[in-house]
Amino acid sequence: MLASRAFGLVGKRALSTSICLRAHGHAGVVKAEDFSLPAYVDRRDLPLPEVAFVKDLSAQQKALKEKEKASWTALSVDEKVELYRIKFNETYAEMNKGTNEWKTVLGGVLFFLGLTGLILIWQKHFMYGPIPHTFSDEWVAAQTKRMLDMRMNPVEGISSQWDYEKNEWKK
Amino acid sequence: LARSVRHTAVRQAHRKHEPDFHDKYGNLVLLGGAAVFTVVWGYALTQIGIEWGFSPVGRVTPKEWRE
Repeated sequence: MLASRAFGLVGKRALSTSICLRAHGHAGVVKAEDFSLPAYVDRRDLPLPEVAFVKDLSAQQKALKEKEKASWTALSVDEKVELYRIKFNETYAEMNKGTNEWKTVLGGVLFFLGLTGLILIWQKHFMYGPIPHTFSDEWVAAQTKRMLDMRMNPVEGISSQWDYEKNEWKK
Repeated sequence: LARSVRHTAVRQAHRKHEPDFHDKYGNLVLLGGAAVFTVVWGYALTQIGIEWGFSPVGRVTPKEWRE
């Protein structure tokens, strides 16, 4: 019971403390940073953002806001547009508009892939040794005939592609 | 009808949008990148003697191998 009485006193003290602080303005309290306040955002799924886009109105804009309080039929088209632009940054059309970013992305990707090709060229020239002699044209030609003579893979493989009657590759 | 005319007018009163990097250089980057890619790989694939191991079917004329 003693603890709850003490807690009750602490609670009252905290309440009165905070009221005092509010009354004094910012004494002892950190000023609310911009990022902690409700922010304006252009989002398709948020038609009415928490705050208006323009926070500090010029004298002209303030006058317009006053005029807005009267009948809206008195407003001209330009005034209505100006009121819109005070409240919102981009229109939905502007928000949804596509960009040409894909061109930069794709062009950049292709460029760096091209640089990769340069690396391959360097490797072939400076690093790799000669390829085996069994890749030369005469060897491959003789090898191919030997494969066909042996009837290698006759069902669906290489020998099935050769026409043994006409002595040429099947069309 | 008068209201719809006004609506149309409001819709057309857009702010001019400043061209960004992609608007200004996008085409150049795209075509330039494609050109670099084509040239480098065209050279790499055909001119430097890489053996790709293509199938002999339809390509190689068989040659007598028996000695």
